[in-house]
Amino acid sequence: MTYDDFLAGDPLIITAALTGGVHGKEANPNLPETPAEIGRAAAAAEDAGAAVVHLHARRPNGERSFATERFQEIDDAVRRHADDVIVQHSTGGTGAPAEKRHLPLRTDPAPEMASLDMGPLNRYDHLTSENTRGMVDALHAEMVERGIKPELEVFNDGHLNEVHGLLERRELADPVYATLIFGGGTLTPPRPRNLRNAVDNLPEGALFNTLGFGRHQLPFATMGILFGGHVRVGLEDNVYYRQGELAESNAQLVERVVRVAEELGREVASPSQARDILGL
Amino acid sequence: MTCPFLDYRDSAGDRTFDTARAYCTAAERFVQPMRADVCNDRYDLDHASDCEIFLAHEDELDEAEIGSEVPTEGPDA
Ligand code: SF4
Repeated sequence: MTYDDFLAGDPLIITAALTGGVHGKEANPNLPETPAEIGRAAAAAEDAGAAVVHLHARRPNGERSFATERFQEIDDAVRRHADDVIVQHSTGGTGAPAEKRHLPLRTDPAPEMASLDMGPLNRYDHLTSENTRGMVDALHAEMVERGIKPELEVFNDGHLNEVHGLLERRELADPVYATLIFGGGTLTPPRPRNLRNAVDNLPEGALFNTLGFGRHQLPFATMGILFGGHVRVGLEDNVYYRQGELAESNAQLVERVVRVAEELGREVASPSQARDILGL
Repeated sequence: MTCPFLDYRDSAGDRTFDTARAYCTAAERFVQPMRADVCNDRYDLDHASDCEIFLAHEDELDEAEIGSEVPTEGPDA
């Protein structure tokens, strides 16, 4: 995807990452944690313009859950509240054993999409989310079996090599869809030239989604829109609306990026248009 | 065994929650949910090697506290 895609006016897919699994209400009390809260947040994000919701599951006290049953409760709540939004489950899980990472793929129906972390990522001072090639391949195999579209999460430029390696090892349905992630730590440094470089290193024909953590969320979303990519926003990645002001909701962050897209003349994709673009 | 600095609280300072959440008495703040898995020694995680806050405060514990255990919500939910 390129600036030409922007000029051609290809619709923009907005993903709302509603809850995450790292921080919770201790960081922003408006972050949804329970299935009912996540269901309502999904509906509000869809109304605001999101075509996809990226979901993690939590215990009642906000701690991480990988249980299929908990994802099922969340999906049921999302489908009760939202109209047609695409459900994308996370398969991430720093410190969790491989078998737990498969559980979010086993809801009924299966999620239309699921994340696939492309390689290692440091957390805190002593943890690494390993995401070995063996684990990536095993998760991908189950996604294929269950008809789930992978969203390849590229935390840094080395993971671009991993995307090419995955394509050599396994067959991926077209189009390949990769989220390019920018921020501190193990992530690609959040500099505009690094987004340009990452896009240039994607496989031919791949679509990209743009994710900037924290205060980089809005600038990177804007650049992603201009470079013909898609965008992810939400409280999982950024709990602030602006410096010192907590976001009121996921929908508030979606509404803002919709306004930017509209000002830049880029149509926002409905869930049905997003399904066509992503080949779901 | 869970971290001896771990407590579950529904309020601290000006923060209140409907459900008691993981609170670190060493850092004196609520714990991020992902780190709470370390506090609870879930999966293969171990607070004694995986938490930099524990390592920085370990010398504040007496022997009895090192052996203590905090009740949690079970293996997974
Ligand atoms: S593991 Fe670390 S964060 Fe958790 S209670 Fe112990 S010292 Fe605090």
